[in-house]
Amino acid sequence: MSDAPILKTADLRAKVTDEEIEILKGVDLEIRPGEIHAIMGPNGSGKSTLAKVLAGHPGYEVTGGSAFFDGQDLLELETDERARSGVFMAFQYPVAIPGVSIANFLRTALQARLEDGDELDLFDFQDILLERMELLEMSPSFAERAVNDGFSGGEKKRNEILQMAVLEPALAIMDETDSGLDIDALKVVARGVNTLQKERPEMAVLLITHYQRLLNYIQPDFVHVIVDGRIVRSGGPEVALSLEEGGYREYRQLQSTVSAA
Amino acid sequence: MQAPAARPLEGVTATINAAAVERLAAGEPDWLAERRWRAWEAYERTPLPTTRLEEWRYTDLSRKLDLDALSPAARGPRGISPEAWPPELHQAMREDWDAAGHIVEIDGRVVHADLTSEARAQGVVLASLREAVHAHPDLLREHLAARAIPPDQGKFSALNAALWTDGTVLFVPRNVTLPLPVRITRWVSDPATAYFTRTLVIGEDWSTVSVVEEILSPNFDEQAFFLSATEVLAGDNSTTHYASVQRMGLGAFHMALYRSLVGRDARTDSLHVTLGASTARLDLNSELAAPGAHSHILGLYFGNEDQHFDHCTSQNHAAPHATSDLLYKGALDDASGSVFRGIIRVSPGAQRTDAYQTNRNLLLSEEASAHALPNLEIEADDVRCSHGATVGQLEEEALFYLQSRGLSRRRAERLVVRGFLQDVLQRRPPGSVTEKVTRAIEEKLRAH
Repeated sequence: MSDAPILKTADLRAKVTDEEIEILKGVDLEIRPGEIHAIMGPNGSGKSTLAKVLAGHPGYEVTGGSAFFDGQDLLELETDERARSGVFMAFQYPVAIPGVSIANFLRTALQARLEDGDELDLFDFQDILLERMELLEMSPSFAERAVNDGFSGGEKKRNEILQMAVLEPALAIMDETDSGLDIDALKVVARGVNTLQKERPEMAVLLITHYQRLLNYIQPDFVHVIVDGRIVRSGGPEVALSLEEGGYREYRQLQSTVSAA
Repeated sequence: MQAPAARPLEGVTATINAAAVERLAAGEPDWLAERRWRAWEAYERTPLPTTRLEEWRYTDLSRKLDLDALSPAARGPRGISPEAWPPELHQAMREDWDAAGHIVEIDGRVVHADLTSEARAQGVVLASLREAVHAHPDLLREHLAARAIPPDQGKFSALNAALWTDGTVLFVPRNVTLPLPVRITRWVSDPATAYFTRTLVIGEDWSTVSVVEEILSPNFDEQAFFLSATEVLAGDNSTTHYASVQRMGLGAFHMALYRSLVGRDARTDSLHVTLGASTARLDLNSELAAPGAHSHILGLYFGNEDQHFDHCTSQNHAAPHATSDLLYKGALDDASGSVFRGIIRVSPGAQRTDAYQTNRNLLLSEEASAHALPNLEIEADDVRCSHGATVGQLEEEALFYLQSRGLSRRRAERLVVRGFLQDVLQRRPPGSVTEKVTRAIEEKLRAH
């Protein structure tokens, strides 16, 4: 695996737009191609904020630090530019787009990646889409449905995985993709991520999760614990296992000790 | 005895007057001339609607329509060969899928009519009204401006019935199915002109009929006024598909009166697309006249610049066990505005009515506006009726979602609007007008 990180943040700080209090208070993270990182933390720790800030959500404002993606200053790029250069975020709550089929949506998204004047070949697109759906064991009729419109929680997550498969990102951020999923749906998500990473081993994955259980199905290389806007512990999969036993309490205590010092 | 105070005859002008009726009635059969004069009397005694009337509250005719500046269209040239038709009209007709027949109307006069020989052999009649006055007088005498839109229904129904210059009659006999639509394509070109035309559709019992009306025009420096009246008479157990697409240029005022009378166990569906003209007003009324009647109504509009669209709809349940379902969706960009005023009326005897009404608006700019006014008037006690209306803006979260997949903000907005409007078209079978309307929407989206 390459040594140059695909994502490198240093002292990354952010707050909700129009509010004062910082949620991210200096996050340092380095992810290399092919690595799977898990960020775990209690509610309100800032883990989901980190995902949204990296994707460029307009509801958050970066107040300090830096984030580089594939050598480019990520924070200088608009949301859509980030996406086109290879950042993908699977949403915790995917949004419904009534009247727009998944196929149409994905075609538009691929078209947006082409130079002005270049037209996406519709037959090529159909081939890609069908091949991706086959890989993920999805029925072709799924792509004819309107994006997330009336979808169950599991279907929404499948849709996120399908988009990820078609858009082939260099970095896939899974923002609490596992929340609210039953075990079968969770397995679908995990199988999707694993299949895609097996196919494109250079793809880096950042899993944001509250629970250890997702990590039973996707084996992370690194686990980081985030509490109160800072990464307080990093290590291998064993970090997640210790969380399962002890929860976040010891980190909260650790945090208050640090703050008091 | 005190004489009644003389009231100025509102809307009677130097050219929209009795002499204009006289010219049209000359040479027409007595019954028709009489009908025009009765309509003219109704016009004279009916005041112009003002914003004090609920139905006209948001469309101020004293500002939007200058009748004094308009002259009624001459009866127009008799024959214009297809080579001389404007390219826009050719284009619109080329875009059409197959048809059972065509009517082309230029500047208020039918210049072309064709109908397949199979349809003719089955007794289907497709003709210009002027031709039908002589060829099919009984048909017109019974139905034209008589049952669905008689002249006494308001100022403009009277005006149209008095001064119509031409139009279309389509008659489909009992048990006959027209599998493909009859396409009526209209073009008007003269500024400072008022056009009055009509469409009469008669589907006898157990017939199936499909009609598409489309109107196009250039932009106008001086206002052009187009007033049409479409009467749909759907016999018992008949099926009627109707679509209208209004794509007039800016500077036009388009006013459409549409009424369907739906017979026992008959099904009608209609789609009303409003894209063009500076001011567009639609008065739509579907009358569920007999038990088991069903009316499905779809509306779609997309305004930009300073376009003003006013839709006034009514689902009249006059008989029991009838159903109606209305969905109107529109997007408003720039400084455009829309009004939707819909009512479900259920008469005392119309038990077991099932009626729905929904209007959804999407505002694409700060200056755009939409008024949504759904209403119920129920005089029966065993009914299921519901109505709903929304006025919303593009959701930031939806746009972010699309942007996070690589779409620029503009592309994301266009995709959401496209989906919002496509939702209406997807409720109809492909063909007919969906592809054409989709393209017209795309054109407008490119301006967003």
